[in-house]
Amino acid sequence: MVCPLANFEEVYRTDHGAVYQCSRQNCYWLEFAGDTTAFRVSDFFSFKKKIDAIDVSAMIIDPSRTADFTILMPFRTPRCFVLDINDVLNLRELLNGAKFMIELNSVINACLKTTPSRVAKL
Amino acid sequence: MKDLLRLKTSLNEEIENILNAQIKVEAHSSSVYLAMSSWCDDQGYDFSSDFFTKQSEEERKHMMKLFNYVNDRGGKAISPEIVNVPTDFESFRSVFEQMLEQEMYVTQQFNHIAEKCIKLKDFVTFQFIQWFLEEQIEEEYVARRILEMFDVIGEEGTGRWEIDKHIPKVSYEG
Ligand SMILES: [Fe+2]
Ligand SMILES: [Fe+2]
Repeated sequence: MVCPLANFEEVYRTDHGAVYQCSRQNCYWLEFAGDTTAFRVSDFFSFKKKIDAIDVSAMIIDPSRTADFTILMPFRTPRCFVLDINDVLNLRELLNGAKFMIELNSVINACLKTTPSRVAKL
Repeated sequence: MKDLLRLKTSLNEEIENILNAQIKVEAHSSSVYLAMSSWCDDQGYDFSSDFFTKQSEEERKHMMKLFNYVNDRGGKAISPEIVNVPTDFESFRSVFEQMLEQEMYVTQQFNHIAEKCIKLKDFVTFQFIQWFLEEQIEEEYVARRILEMFDVIGEEGTGRWEIDKHIPKVSYEG
């Protein structure tokens, strides 16, 4: 489910999901494992930090069945993520790419804001 | 594409992380000085105990100054977890040696932060930390001056009692 007034732009996409930006509501949408979830900007980055902090090697080494999955229920979302090791790695790849594109966009925006006046002076 | 990231925060992620690390350092300093205050009280060095209580409060103020800055710039300040706070110290003198080491470490950290600010062209944060760099001159001076008293007055006889009595008088005129 995606917000009906959405003004969407794709931030990043992999084979396993995508991240979109909604510039009307100032949020990011994460499309992953057949569902989409909206995150506020700061929530999106703290979600990424949580995914990055998952100890994948501990999941591999631990023989108990419960260690095969990590459950994450981010606050302010209706979503419950049940992730196996593959999901964690796929999600990381997606979020890393998205973060890079978001930061690149910031850099480009900053350049576009400063260059015209500089060019005019030259 | 609209720049949602900069609408949210003016702080570069690296700067935010390094400032959060410094928040933790200041909080740790505050706890260590409180531990020193308790030790001095226990050993009968009343003036030194008061001195470290005040130092501890100062460090907490430093922490809050950084904490508020991070939040005011749109970042997320993290309330730090404090571990490894000592409860015992070797001697009266070693307490002040540790204080000097702690302050020199803090100065070093702020130098790193200044370096990073310049590298990332964050002159707003660079300007903000000038206050701390200046503060460190006083902090190191006071610790050194106190250590010198151990040599000048000497620890024998009533020496330590004398040193303790002089602790509140050590100040930096700038
Ligand atoms: Fe400090
Ligand atoms: Fe200090």
